[in-house]
Amino acid sequence: MIGLIISLLVVATRSSVPLILASVGEVVTEKAGIVNIGIEGFMLLAGVVAAVVDYATGSPLLGLLAGAGVGFILGLIHGAASAKLKANQIVLGIGINILAFGIGVAVLNHVWGNPGQSAPLPTIPPIRIDGYFTTPMFLAAIAIALAAHYIMTRTTLGLEISACGEDPHSAEALGVKVETLQTLVTAVAGILHGLAGAYLVVDYIGQFTRDITAGRGFIALAIVVLSNWNTILALAASYLLGLAEATALNLQAILGVPALSDLLNTLPYIAALVAITIYGVKARAPAWLGRPYIKE
Amino acid sequence: MAASGSQPLLAVRDLVKVYPDGTVALNGVSLDFMAGEVHVLLGENGAGKTTLARIIYGEIRPTSGEVIYEGRRVLFRGPWEAIRAGIRMIYQHFSLVGGFTVADNIALYGSRLGLSRREALEAARRLAEEYGFRIPFDARVSDLPAGIQQRVEIVKALLVEPRVLILDEPTSLVSPLDVEALFRVIRGLREKGVAILYITHKLREVGVIGDRVTVMRRGRVVATLPAKKATVDQLARLMIGERRLPEEPRIAAAGAAGERGAALRVENLRVVREGFEAVRGVSLEVRPGEILGVTGVAGNGQDELVEAIVGVLPVAGGRITLLGRDVTREPTWVRYRLGLAYLPGSRKLSLVQEMNALENLALGLLGAGKLRGPFIDWGWVAKLLVKYVEELGVVMHSPYAPVKHLSGGNQQKLALARILAVEPRVLVAVDPTHGLDIATTRIVHSILAEMRSRGMAILLVSSDLDEVLQLSDRVAVMNSGRIVSIKKPHEYTLEELGRLMGGAA
Ligand SMILES: Nc1ncnc2c1ncn2[C@@H]1O[C@H](COP(=O)(O)OP(=O)(O)OP(=O)(O)O)[C@@H](O)[C@H]1O
Ligand SMILES: [Mg+2]
Repeated sequence: MIGLIISLLVVATRSSVPLILASVGEVVTEKAGIVNIGIEGFMLLAGVVAAVVDYATGSPLLGLLAGAGVGFILGLIHGAASAKLKANQIVLGIGINILAFGIGVAVLNHVWGNPGQSAPLPTIPPIRIDGYFTTPMFLAAIAIALAAHYIMTRTTLGLEISACGEDPHSAEALGVKVETLQTLVTAVAGILHGLAGAYLVVDYIGQFTRDITAGRGFIALAIVVLSNWNTILALAASYLLGLAEATALNLQAILGVPALSDLLNTLPYIAALVAITIYGVKARAPAWLGRPYIKE
Repeated sequence: MAASGSQPLLAVRDLVKVYPDGTVALNGVSLDFMAGEVHVLLGENGAGKTTLARIIYGEIRPTSGEVIYEGRRVLFRGPWEAIRAGIRMIYQHFSLVGGFTVADNIALYGSRLGLSRREALEAARRLAEEYGFRIPFDARVSDLPAGIQQRVEIVKALLVEPRVLILDEPTSLVSPLDVEALFRVIRGLREKGVAILYITHKLREVGVIGDRVTVMRRGRVVATLPAKKATVDQLARLMIGERRLPEEPRIAAAGAAGERGAALRVENLRVVREGFEAVRGVSLEVRPGEILGVTGVAGNGQDELVEAIVGVLPVAGGRITLLGRDVTREPTWVRYRLGLAYLPGSRKLSLVQEMNALENLALGLLGAGKLRGPFIDWGWVAKLLVKYVEELGVVMHSPYAPVKHLSGGNQQKLALARILAVEPRVLVAVDPTHGLDIATTRIVHSILAEMRSRGMAILLVSSDLDEVLQLSDRVAVMNSGRIVSIKKPHEYTLEELGRLMGGAA
């Protein structure tokens, strides 16, 4: 029993990585006032590009880098369209999700001649600790979450970012480059979303499939609310939900009930609902979240 | 003061600003600003004063024309560049991040100036001490009254001494004592050679603080003259042009207030906000057909008194009676249905900015129980709107446009039109003419006087002394959560008022 628990705890270090990366990125983006519901699409596009690069070069690390690059570019687009062009952020996000799915299938068809999945790909070597395997990406994700927390709470940059999401007009009057900062934050968070998607392909699963993200982008959005826009809490919640995923997989293997994993996947949403109800007014979104900042 | 012939520190040439919706806010404005000079910019609502300031500060870009600073043509890409170049602005509607603490706001601004958090806060504390401002650095800005927010704005703007300071209507929310303090600050900066652009529409301030005055009307400069020589009449004429200035209503004569029972009675009221006892045993009465003015330095419990009467803040002790009924524990909507109306100090609160005039009126009627659901008789609402909009002279293109596009004066008139339509019996009005020009202010005063003569009981809470003395049947002065005096306006002397407001009774 203890052995099972330990092994679940260890598997969770692997399943939680994409949730940590994506939710931490989104916490920071939303703090800046931009909402990105296209995370799922970011992950998918980054994943497919990572798969192609990994496949072509045989280097999962290059695949990871490529995924980060894709995330950055998508983030730049989403950020600039939202912050500078004042586009509707929800519509943009939905658009990216739809586009990403189509591109994923098209690339699968083109490269591997199969609309469902790619060939198995080289993966990032795991770290072995006392007989258990985890991924170096888990450590990287924790470091990123801690760094983000430090930036948001201890630096003027963090203060500037929060000011954009709270009250962009005042932020600008206080000398903050609102539009530029919002764009850059969204782009940098895009890197995290891209890493999350690439990680699934070149590390966690070792293959690209059309539905590889399995709603993780949306779960990340729920975690953001659940964490009350706090990166440390987002890290913790991501790990717990990673644990839920690991448990679901294990139960599936033991009981042979695949439907259970779908059910368990609804856990974060239920948890978010419950938590929001319990916290009540305490969970407070940035005041200007998702609203275009129009100067004149 | 401006040595003649010397180079202006800052100048604008042929500025034109057309907003995206086609409004021409500036139509060829050229002005000079000298180091060590207070240049007053005078103009009615919508004259383009704020637009000019925002262009200098780099917040918006001119459609054409140029800004010349230290002899060079500049085009600031945003306030951050203007700030670095030594230009600071204190906004008409304060520009602090409401969800942040005072300290966070100051740290953020300080970081623009290359100060560390500790340096910025130290500088702020030093300035606050120097000017005698009491500033709660750890409080959230949105919890602070306007007067204190303004002090934060001032301190923030002066963290590092500027070369140019723009003040956009800095005295519209604060008491005479604060104005004196502000003027001392401004004079001190002038001595040090700072160029000051002082925006106002209060004629009396021109001679007191200004060296030169420029009058603007509809986006153009009408005249620039030496401030000390300009008379109030001359300036008023320049400001409003051909139109006639409405008369101030005469109040004292009417005396409609009979000895009938009080419409609103407050007994020994105590209100606690966030652990602080802001109202400490206030008793007052307003009779039908009477205006009771309440004045005092911002932050002495007026806001809390009003919010308790309206029912937004819970009462810690005492009793509120509305039209003979004890409403101390009743929710706001019950009070509204009984005949209470509330005109909040900030227009942003009184009207829903994103909704149109019809919808705003319907909401007011709904709150007062005058509009029965579930289906809305829009024809009736529209008829009411037309009636009162005409009566009060609200200028609006369409009743279907969001009210945020209306000028400040028109928004306030619309808010008053809504109150008239609701026909309340008791009105609580806070700073009803804050930010309005003289013509509009007088119209609002006439409306209030008219409401009074219709038998409404009005509690007028205002930090504008002139307004309170002008309109009220009786004037109460608040200090530290207490009413320290209630008398007829003519029984006060200005010195006495100053002392009472300052707490040295
Ligand atoms: N963002 C905007 N979009 C469209 N029109 C605007 C905008 N800001 C101001 N205006 C319009 O431009 C004109 C000038 O406005 P501005 O705020 O400069 O006047 P002001 O002199 O500062 O008036 P006030 O005394 O009321 O502050 C007004 O007609 C106003 O309605
Ligand atoms: Mg203005």
